[in-house]
This record gives sequence, structure tokens and C-alpha cells, in this order.
Amino acid sequence: MTDYKILLVDDDQGLLEMLVSIFRRAGYTHLLTASTGEDALRIREKEQPDMIVLDVMMPDMDGFAVLRAIRRTSRVPVLMLTARGEAEDRIEGLEIGADDYLAKPFLPKELLLRVNAILSRAYPNREEMVELSGSTVDLASAMVWKNGEQLSLTAKEFQLFEKLYQNAGRIVTTGILCETICGEFWQGYESTLSTHIRHLREKIEENPSRPVSLLTVKGLGYRLNLKEGSR
Amino acid sequence: MNTIQRFFRRYIFSTVGIVLLFLFVNIALIFTILVVGSMSNSDVVFSVRQFSDHITKQGGDWTADDTALSMLQEKSAWAMVLSENGDVVWQQDMPKHLPKSYTSTEIASFSRWYLDGYPVKVWTRADGCLTVVGFQPRTLVKFYYALEWPYIGMLFTGGIAVFLINLFLILFLLLRNTRKVEKAMTPILQGIQDLSHGRPNRLQEQGELAEINAGLNRAADYMRKKDNTRAEWIRGVSHDIRTPLSMVLGYASELEDNHVLPTEARKQAGIIRRESEKMKRLIDDLNLTTKLEYALQPLHPKTLDWVELCRQAVSEVLNNGLDSRYTLTFTEMQPGRPLRLVGDDGLLLRMLDNLIRNSITHNPQGCTITVSVGETDGRCLCTVSDDGVGIPAPLLKSLNLGNNISSTQESNEKTEHGLGLKLAAQIVTAHQGTIRFADNTPHGLKVSVYLPGK
Repeated sequence: MTDYKILLVDDDQGLLEMLVSIFRRAGYTHLLTASTGEDALRIREKEQPDMIVLDVMMPDMDGFAVLRAIRRTSRVPVLMLTARGEAEDRIEGLEIGADDYLAKPFLPKELLLRVNAILSRAYPNREEMVELSGSTVDLASAMVWKNGEQLSLTAKEFQLFEKLYQNAGRIVTTGILCETICGEFWQGYESTLSTHIRHLREKIEENPSRPVSLLTVKGLGYRLNLKEGSR
Repeated sequence: MNTIQRFFRRYIFSTVGIVLLFLFVNIALIFTILVVGSMSNSDVVFSVRQFSDHITKQGGDWTADDTALSMLQEKSAWAMVLSENGDVVWQQDMPKHLPKSYTSTEIASFSRWYLDGYPVKVWTRADGCLTVVGFQPRTLVKFYYALEWPYIGMLFTGGIAVFLINLFLILFLLLRNTRKVEKAMTPILQGIQDLSHGRPNRLQEQGELAEINAGLNRAADYMRKKDNTRAEWIRGVSHDIRTPLSMVLGYASELEDNHVLPTEARKQAGIIRRESEKMKRLIDDLNLTTKLEYALQPLHPKTLDWVELCRQAVSEVLNNGLDSRYTLTFTEMQPGRPLRLVGDDGLLLRMLDNLIRNSITHNPQGCTITVSVGETDGRCLCTVSDDGVGIPAPLLKSLNLGNNISSTQESNEKTEHGLGLKLAAQIVTAHQGTIRFADNTPHGLKVSVYLPGK
């Protein structure tokens, strides 16, 4: 896994320590912390982190103000944390330009999942090899290696794979997958989706008729299982 | 008809009743007085006819018996009998100065009025003579009454008319007054009623009762302020709990995943993590239910794919890890049919999540939960059913009536998530939908949510 530089901002020292602990255990080593909005802006300027986890409620300068200041000069991915958990906060945050939003209290797993998803969306060109049980997928080149054979993914297949990979181990619904390949008005494209999935399976599965990596979840959608022990 | 109108109708009826009662009592009293008066008079009234019967003509002599004499004495009266040509043929105690003979003109005059100041009563005897009894002056009043027939008729109808006009005037004034009072009181009473239903309204502070209206407005403001304070308080507390709970949840989760720790310790950390998650849900529910109750949460409606939304809700529960005791399946009633509705996706997901979690919470022994989505009569339908223990009939009824949903919490100590159903019902209501709770066959709970389709 690529090591990203992540800036964690929260006025609560205890929570900051916990965030550091969560990210460290997940394998991130370049961690920066700030407990005020001004600190956060100064550190971001100096260190240029790859991603920022930003608390909304801070005493001197709130998260929205910090985000606005950041967005004037930078497109660095930002995940907002809030203790309010309200729809308005969420919408305001996303309007200003937050990449995602998480309400406290949260599960470390959920935080990491979202951060990973944001990072893989924001830095898609980084070298990344996805290990599946029957093949390996190179995200940088959209190529699949299976039994020493090299296959290339079509654009739609790659979009689907990327979406499933960002949510690896979780069910991704038919609607979300259709939206990924067809855009906002995806209704009626379910059969197109299943065709693409069949083609994708033919490339990544050892036995496409009995898939082990790209599984169908009846009625709901699909789930990508990574090879045991990878990530 | 509401309570207030009923009250005023009853007031009018009772007042009309009182007027009528008054009338009847008066008529009855007048009759009683007349009857009693005439009865008390009867023994003292002097009857000329009776007196005349006691005067007899035997041969050529007129004689009065003792009764006749005592009758006269009693009244200090005098008497005479006039023959057919006006001569006095008999007399008793007759004043000396009175003439002994009368012309027919004189007879006609005194029989109607007075004879030289003496009030007299006359009686025409069978033999053609006239008995005249004279009383002491100022003992008897004599009237002479002669009325034309048409006048009598007019008097009679006029009397009735006056009586009826009076009656109607009284009733009219009464109704008008009542109407006036009703007009002034109705907004106040309505205000009180609204207040008691928790819907404070602002009343016009003018007119004679302005002070009362102002008082009610103050009460409404106070209520609103208290509601807001309560919502603010819940929001504040839930906010303050979120950060510490994040730490509990975070560290417990870290410990649970720490392979260096003994299995037992990791298991305990898992319990802390799960309980903290329940607390997190409880806070979220409490916050949202308060906001929905006081209409502080605006909906963010947009066109949604109902099937996809249900898929996402089910997937979310599965993705967050479902214990192996439970099976969660998803089916479409009309596979492939697109169902559109307008709603707030965040709230609807929350509602479905709450229904699924309700089945999980109420069935710790495990169960199969089925989420079905489809269309019925142009409405979007989603049923969440389980084959668990179900809900007792009385509680089911109470849930369907929509009242005291949160009381599921008190009825059973194990049901720790009573807010969940309340919130689900609130969200459905906010979307102009309906929610029905029913028994599942052979056992378990079946919740059906109907939402208006697009």
C-alpha cells in the first residue's frame, strides 16, 4: 500500500491521539496533527499533505472556514468530521468542497474505508496492484495478469472494477454500479451491467462460471473479494 | 360539531328553556291567584237572586223570612221590591229620603249605576217584580262594559301578538347576545384547545378580551420556547456525547482488532464496541426524532429509485456485518419494474435501517428478515418482515394507531430500541406515507410502508 501524508485536525487532543493510533495501525506513517484551524492552514502550507481529516467544530476557526481557506489554493482531498451529524452540515461541507463527510461517533473501520476510497479516487495514477485469488489487476494500466497471460480491461470494465475495488469486501448495489458506467440516468441499464460483469469475470476469474472474487449478491448487487491477506 | 359549538348550542337551548319555564310558571301563578281569589270571595258575595227567593208574596202581603233579613243585616244593606209599574211594594231599612216610586228611566239608570250614591244590585223576579238591594256607599264598585265584537276580536289577537312579539324579542336578544359571546370566545377556546394539542397559535390581541388573548399568546410562546429549549438541549447533549463516544468506539474497535491481545480481552472489547454502536444509534435517533417532532428538520426531497434505495438500505446492514444468527434477504415483487418517488434519501434509508434493526433487536435468538419492495395501487411499497417472536396484539394495535410508539420501551425491558419505530413512523408521515404493523405468518412481525409514487 502506498504511504500517504495525512493531516489530522481536531481541537480535542484525546481524539487526535486516537486518530493517529487508528491510522498508524492501518499502516500510515506520515501523520501530521493540528489542534486549531490556523495551525492546520500553516502545516498544510508547509507540508503539503496528500489528504486532510478535518473536524467541523473548533473553537477559533471552524472546519468550514478552514476548508474554504484551503479550497482557495488547493484541491487536496478533505474528509470532514462532525459532532452534529446533521444533514445541513453535510450539505454545507460538500458544497464548500469536502470530498466526504463522517459523523461522530464513527467506527475506525468506516473512517479508514472512506479515507482509502477518497485517496484511490484522488490519486488513481499511483502504482497499485490489486491481488485477487485468480489474478492480479494493475490499476495504473488497467491490465490483468492471469496464469501468466496479460489481458486488458475496457473502459467500462475498468470503471466497474475500480468502483468495486474502492468498496472491496462490501456490497455495491446494482444502481451504484449502473450509475458508474451510465451516469445519472441509469434506469434500464441493468442488463448492460450484467453483460459487463460477465466480461469482467471472464478476465479476472479463474473459472468465470464459478466466481470467487467478483460475487453476485442476489437482488442487491455485487461484491469484490480481495485475495486473503492483501490490504 | 366541535366541543365549543356544542357548548354554545347547549347554552342557547338551556336559556330558551329557562324563558319558557318562566312563562309557564307565571301563567300558572296567575291562574292560581284568580282561582284562590274567587274561592275566598264566594262566601261574602251577596246574591240578589238568593235573597229574592226569600221574599214571598202571600195574598196581598210581601214578607221576607229571617234568612233574608239576616243577609241584609250582615251587609248593612237595605232592600225594596218594585212592582211592574215602578212602585215600591215592599221595603226593608230603605233610607227615608229615597222616592217610593220610580220611572222606567230611573230604574234603567240605577240598575246600571248607583241609586243616590248607593250601589245597588237588582234581580227580575218570576212574577215580573224587581228586587233591588242597596248597599252602603263605598262597599261595591260598579262598572259598565259594552264592547263591539270586532274590537273584542282585535283585542284578543292583539293580546296574543303582543305576547308573541315579546317572546320573540326576548329570544332574539338572547340569541344575539349568545352569538356575540360565542364570537368573542370561540378563538380563545380554540386557542386553548390548540394549545392542549401542542399546536400553539397566535391570537389577535384586540377587543374586550384582548387581555385573555394576550395571556394565551404568552402561554403559546412559553410552550414554543420550552419545545425549542428541549430540542436544543437534546442537540447539545448529543453533541457533547459524540466526541467521548467516538473515543470509546474507536479504542474498543482498535482493541478488538489487536491480535496481540488475548481472545477473551478482544471479545470484551467487541462487546464495548457493539454497545457503543447502540448508543450512537440511540443518539442519532433521539436527535432526529426531536427535530422531526418540532419540524426543525427540513426534508431534502429529490426523485429517487425506490428499489435501489431499498437495496442500499439492505446492503448497508449487510456491509456493517450481520451476526450469523440472522439472515437478511431482499426480493422484488415486480422484478425489473422501475419505481420512482420523491423523498429525502437520507431519511428514507434511515427509516428502512431502523425497521431492519428493530427485527434484529427484538429477536436476539436470531431470525430471517425479508425486505420486499414493489408497487401496489400506484404506491411504492416496502415490507420488512421477520419470522421472530413478533409483537403482542395490544401493542400492535397501539403501534397502528400511531400513539405512544415509544412506549414499546417500557413494556419490555429487552426492547431497547423503542425510538427506532417511532422515528420510522415519523419519517413515513413526513413523506405523506402510511406505515402498518401486522403479524407475520406463522409468527413474527411484518411492517409495511406505503409511500406515494411519482
